[in-house]
Amino acid sequence: MKKFDKGYIYSGLLSDLFGTLVILFVFLKDFFFNEESKPEDIKAALPVFAIAFTVIYLCFAVYRILYYRTSGYELTEKEIKCNRGVFFRKRSVLSYKKIHAINKKQNLFHRVFGIAVLTVDSGSTNTSRQAEITIIEKAKTIDSLINELNSLKENGVRDISDLNEEILISEDDSLYNFTSKKKMLYTFINIVSTAFFTALFGVLAITVIGICKLTLKLDTLGTWGQYFLFSVLITAGAMLLFSVFSFIGCMIHSFIGYHEFTITKRGNDIQISFGLLERHTNTFSYDRIKAVKISQGLVQRMLGFASIKLEVIGYTGDQENNSNAELGVLVPFCKYDEVSEILGKVLPDYIPDTKQTKAVSYFPFVSWFMLILCIVIGLILAETAAILMIFDVNVFVISITALAVTGVGIVIFAFKAASAALSYQTNGIALNNGKITAYSGGFTKNITVFMAKNLIATENVTTPLRKKTGISSYVLHLKTNALSNEVRIHIQKDEFSKEIEKLLIL
Amino acid sequence: MELKKLNKSVLKLWYIRATIVSLALISAFTSLIIVLAASGAPKNVLFAVSLGSGIPVALLLAFIIVLPVLRYKMYAWGYDDKRIIVKQGVIFRRRVVIPVCQIQDLHRIQGPIMMMLKLSGVTISTAGSNFDISTLTTEEADRMIDVLEQSLEVRIEELKNEEI
Repeated sequence: MKKFDKGYIYSGLLSDLFGTLVILFVFLKDFFFNEESKPEDIKAALPVFAIAFTVIYLCFAVYRILYYRTSGYELTEKEIKCNRGVFFRKRSVLSYKKIHAINKKQNLFHRVFGIAVLTVDSGSTNTSRQAEITIIEKAKTIDSLINELNSLKENGVRDISDLNEEILISEDDSLYNFTSKKKMLYTFINIVSTAFFTALFGVLAITVIGICKLTLKLDTLGTWGQYFLFSVLITAGAMLLFSVFSFIGCMIHSFIGYHEFTITKRGNDIQISFGLLERHTNTFSYDRIKAVKISQGLVQRMLGFASIKLEVIGYTGDQENNSNAELGVLVPFCKYDEVSEILGKVLPDYIPDTKQTKAVSYFPFVSWFMLILCIVIGLILAETAAILMIFDVNVFVISITALAVTGVGIVIFAFKAASAALSYQTNGIALNNGKITAYSGGFTKNITVFMAKNLIATENVTTPLRKKTGISSYVLHLKTNALSNEVRIHIQKDEFSKEIEKLLIL
Repeated sequence: MELKKLNKSVLKLWYIRATIVSLALISAFTSLIIVLAASGAPKNVLFAVSLGSGIPVALLLAFIIVLPVLRYKMYAWGYDDKRIIVKQGVIFRRRVVIPVCQIQDLHRIQGPIMMMLKLSGVTISTAGSNFDISTLTTEEADRMIDVLEQSLEVRIEELKNEEI
């Protein structure tokens, strides 16, 4: 007979701890929080209460251990057997054919230790208040048991050859483990991102306020030394504050949201489970995958990490509302070098191929942006100067304002130039036996892998000058839940667009 | 596949729309100046506001007036039993290819001015994105929808047979 999972003891001890504390609080709150209670009385009573707490808790602990040792279950050829109980021992035998209902329960403490309770009921009035069979096992094992019992309910007999076979899928079978170390790194990267953008915003704010101080002679800001000291301190404080919020948010997200993240593959089905407070178990067929997206934010990219998301009709972040579709998480965080290995285990058809094309030139990435930015900045400069002249503002202030506007323009352009440099490095495409790997994005690098059968339409975007030099950008429209799902690959050789068009199923 | 140009009345529609937008812009600008003048704003303030908002308004008006002609010149569309092709864009020229077999549903859309000019917009919905064929005559739009529906049925049958 197989024993229940040991997680039962641990979850029981944890819930008992809370239970005992609640009981003690209810009974002793009047004593501790009464205005008439003297501190010395409380001090004297504390050891007594500590002993009482320990005794009560030990009783619970002994009960849990005894329950674990005396309980178990067994799946035989025609029936399911279960032993349980400490003081009143109960042995239940239920024929597979008589199974009426199979239920899985998981409370918060069970989730912490990754276990679940399976109850199997025959529907008999004799046992209407309690199910005949109770099994406490790892959640994954319970899922496999549900599947097996469902099929046994129909067939009535278990294949003898299966009897010696391990029917349980343990957590270790997961094709990907989101370990605590990875969760910490994931949290750290998010903090770094938040701190980086806060610092950037702080530097810009210091510059703008500094210009205001100079031009408007804001004496309230103190001397230049005081101003810089305060602004640096405020920026550091803001960075710290946002980092703390980011840390808390990310910890909750990664440790609770992605608690016990497991990916398992059974035949043609892929199952992804995660979450502590709200446990998600998403099962979908391999054939329903429309695309795999590997994303790397700027900091992730610098440190060599990535996340893998899935585009699957029916499997999204919001299961109940498919119209509000978003990508489902396959792997929340992994090393970029591990991507092929992980996909090789889970989705071997979606391993990204090496780029066959790359961006032809850097200049087109910035040319139009630069032109429009120059026109806008020029217009703002001319208008501001003219308006200031109308108000008889002195030349020094006009010059400083013009410098500030130009400075803002330069900062915006620097951002675009950096993003364009990354886009130039990233953008490209690979076509391989009906599989398309599209490399796109700037600060955030995206690799989208999908099958040509899921390509809905293609778009070729060019300008007259680019056409002359044989350059164009491609927009690939994919099948999706969302209103629109496009992948944009910029500044490629025009001739390659014909190859892409050939992939469309006409 | 030979691509067709849009009907001349489409240009008329775009100009009617451009006129409405231009009038709204001019009215907003004039109202601002009148309100400032009526509230006794100093002359230099009035001049500064006229200059500050007048130049962008003038540029926008020029853009709104020139755009329809260029857009009309660049727009081309066509379809056969296998695909729909749309070419559009003044500076950034886009060429969209939509396979007929990917069509989920087709929509014909008409606003009040379009009704007056007997024009219709066509939206092609697929399992991925929606594509608009800017404006066609209602007759052309109806014909296109009928032909595409028939082609779609035939293509689906053909693809099923190919799979078998």
